Amino acid sequence: MNLRRLRLLMWKEFLQLRRDPLLLPLVFIMPIMMMIMFGYVVGSDVRNLPTAVVDHDNTRLSHQLTDAFSSSGYFVITQRPSSEAALQPLIDSGQAKVAIVIERGTAVSLARGETVPLGIIVDGADSKVASVASGYAAEIVAAFDQRLLAAAGRATGGPTIDARVRVAFNPSLKSVNAMVPGLVGAILMLSIMVIMSQAVVRERARGTLEQMMVTPITRGEYLLGKVVPYVVIALVQMTFIVLLGRFLFDVPFNGSVWTVALGLLLFTFTAIGMGLLISLVSHTQQQAQQTVMFVMIPTMVLSGFIFPIESMPAAIVPLTYIIPLRYALVVLRGAFLKGSSILDLWVPLLAMLAFAVAIFGLAVSRFHKQLSE
Amino acid sequence: MRASLARVIAIARKEFIHISRDWRMIVAVLVLPLIQLVLFAYAISFDVRNVPSVTLDLDRTAASREYLNAYAKARFFDVQGPVAGYTAISDAFDRGQARVAIVVQRGFGDAMAAGRTGSVAVIIDGSEPNSAQLGQTYAVALNQALDRGAVASWAAARGLAGSAAGALEPRIQNWYNPSRSSADFLIPGLMVVIIMIVTVQQTSVTLVKERENGTLEQLLTSRLTHSELIAGKILPWAFLGIVDTLTITGVAMLVFGVPLRGDVSVLAVGTALFIICALSLGLVISAVAPTLESANMSALLISFLPGFMLSGMAFPLASIPWPLQIASYLFPARYMVEISRGVFLRGASWGVLGPQVLQLTVYAIVALGIATALNRRRRA
Repeated sequence: MNLRRLRLLMWKEFLQLRRDPLLLPLVFIMPIMMMIMFGYVVGSDVRNLPTAVVDHDNTRLSHQLTDAFSSSGYFVITQRPSSEAALQPLIDSGQAKVAIVIERGTAVSLARGETVPLGIIVDGADSKVASVASGYAAEIVAAFDQRLLAAAGRATGGPTIDARVRVAFNPSLKSVNAMVPGLVGAILMLSIMVIMSQAVVRERARGTLEQMMVTPITRGEYLLGKVVPYVVIALVQMTFIVLLGRFLFDVPFNGSVWTVALGLLLFTFTAIGMGLLISLVSHTQQQAQQTVMFVMIPTMVLSGFIFPIESMPAAIVPLTYIIPLRYALVVLRGAFLKGSSILDLWVPLLAMLAFAVAIFGLAVSRFHKQLSE
Repeated sequence: MRASLARVIAIARKEFIHISRDWRMIVAVLVLPLIQLVLFAYAISFDVRNVPSVTLDLDRTAASREYLNAYAKARFFDVQGPVAGYTAISDAFDRGQARVAIVVQRGFGDAMAAGRTGSVAVIIDGSEPNSAQLGQTYAVALNQALDRGAVASWAAARGLAGSAAGALEPRIQNWYNPSRSSADFLIPGLMVVIIMIVTVQQTSVTLVKERENGTLEQLLTSRLTHSELIAGKILPWAFLGIVDTLTITGVAMLVFGVPLRGDVSVLAVGTALFIICALSLGLVISAVAPTLESANMSALLISFLPGFMLSGMAFPLASIPWPLQIASYLFPARYMVEISRGVFLRGASWGVLGPQVLQLTVYAIVALGIATALNRRRRA
C-alpha cells in the first residue's frame, strides 16, 4: 500500500467531482431538502381539520359540545349545514373532512341519563386524517362525558381513576426529534450508494478502469482511493445534518457519542458494500441509478423510517428484518432520544455487524474477481 | 408538415431502439412500478394499531386485573405481558421491545372499592411521535371511559341513581373507505407518484446522454428543429407512461379491489396531461444538468422528495407549513393526486375536477415551453 498513490487517487476523485458544477451543490442541497421535507411534511400534526356541524338539537348543551370540538384546535368548524343531505357535496369536494351530526333531543335524553349516539363522519379517502380525527373525536367526547358527570354532581362520591399519561423521551412529541437520527442513517446510505455506484460504473463504461489497472496501482489502493472520498463527503453531510438538527430544530442528544459512532461505522461499511455491488451488476450509469432506486424505495418504506413497523401487516413484517436501515434506526433513535447504551442495543448492533461483514465482504470479493477476469 | 411528422417519428423510433436494446431498462420501467405498487400498498398504513405494551401491576387485585384487561381488549395496544418492576420497563423501552407501559399503583383496588381515587400511570415512548401521539389520545379516552364505568357500577351496586348522568357515545362512520383499507386510499395517489418517478428519471438523462456521447451534435446538423427533437424524445416515454398507468390501474382494480367510481374520461385526460408535465420536468433537468451524475441526482431529488412528499399522496397538504404548501403548487403531482383520488374513490366527474384538469393543462403548456426554450438556449 503506497500512501502517495493513494493520495493521488483520492485527489483525482475530488477533481472529477469538482468538474461538474451542479454535483457538489446537490450533495448539500439534498440533506437540507430531506430535512425540511421529513421534518415538516411527515412530522406535521393533523390540525385545523375543516369540520361541518349539523346541529338538529340546537340547545345549550349542543352548543357546548360544538365548542368543545372547535376549542380543541384539531377541528375548525367551517360549515353549519341544516341537514345531512348537504354533507355529501361538502365532503365530496373536500370542503369538509369531518362532519358531526347532533340528533334532535340529545340534551333531553342526556338529562334523563340515557346514552345517546353522536354521529361523526370522517373522510376515509384520506386515511391519516381519518385515523387521527377518530382518535381526537373520541378523546373530546370522552372529556365531554366526564364534564357531564361532574355537572351531575358525582353526588354519590363514587371512585375515580387518576390516570397520569406521560410521554417519555420526547415529551413535546416533536417529529423532527425522531426524524433527525433517522435522516442521518438514510442520507448516509443514499449519498454513498448514489455517488459511489455512479463513479465506479463510469470508469468501467469509459474504459478508464482498465487503464488504471495497467498502472502500478493495486486493487486495494484503487478500492480505498474510491471509497475514502465518498466516506468523507458522507461524513460532512452527516455532521451538517446533526448540526442543523441540533441548533435549528433543537433536537436533543441524550446518548453517548460512542454508540452513535459505532452504529454509523458499521452502517457505512454496509452502504459502501451496497454501492460497490450495485456498480458491479450495472453496465451503464442509468442502470446503476435504477438499481439504487430499486434498493432505496423498499429501504425507505420498510425500515420504519416514515411508517411505523408495528402498523404493517404481519405478512410484511418479516421482510423488514432484511433491511439494514431498520437496525441503524433502532440504534440511532435509541442513542439520540433514549440515551440507550451499547449494551442495551447489542441485538441491533450485532445485526448491523453481520450485514457489514456480509455485504462489504461480498462486494470486495466480487470486485476482485471481476477485475481479474 | 408531413416531413416534420416523419422526423418526429424517426426520433421516437430511435429512442425506442435505445430502450429496447437495454433489457434492464424495460424491467425498470415496466416491472419496477408494479413492485413499488405492491410494496407501498401493503406496507404503508396510518392506522396505528398493535403498539407493543407491557403492564406493571403493583396492586394485584381483581380490580387492577380488570383495569389492565381493558387495554388487552383495545385494538391499539398489543399487551405483551407483565413485567417485574420499573427497571424492567426502562429496559424494555431502551431495547425497543415496548412503546407503552401501563402501571397500576398499589392500593388501586382498595381505593376503587371505597369510592376514593385509584392511581394508574401510562408511560409512552415518544421516540416514534406519530404512534405516541395517537397512543396518548387513546389512553386518555380509554381511561375516561373506564372511569365512567367504575362510577356507574359503584352506584348501581349501591342502588344509587345520583350519578346517572347521560353519556354521548361517538359513532364514527368512515365515508368512501369504510373498511379503513389503506390500499384504497393509497393506490390512486401511488399511481401518480410511481409514474412521476419513472418518467422524470428516464427523460432527465436522455439529452445529457446524447450530449456526452457527442450524438447531439450529429442530430443538430440534420434538419431537425428543437420542437421536433423534444416531441420525438417525449413520445416513447409518454407511451410507456400510459402502459404503466394501465397496468397499475388493472392491478389496483383486480388484485387490490380498488373501486373506480367516477368518470374514466377525466382520468384518461388527466393522466395524459400529467405524463406530459412530468416528462417536461425531466427535460428541464436534462437541459440544465452538465453530467449524467447530476442529472440522475436531480431527478432523484425532484421525483422522490417533492413528487412523493408534496403530492398529498400520503401526507395531508392542509396541515403542512404555508411555504411548503406554496412549493407544492410547483409540482404537477398535487393536481393529479386530486384527480386520481377524486375519480377512483369519490366518483367525481368533469364538473368537480374541471379546475384541476385546467391547472394541469396550463402546467403542461408552460413546462413544455420552458423545456424547449432551455434546450434551445443550451444548444445555441
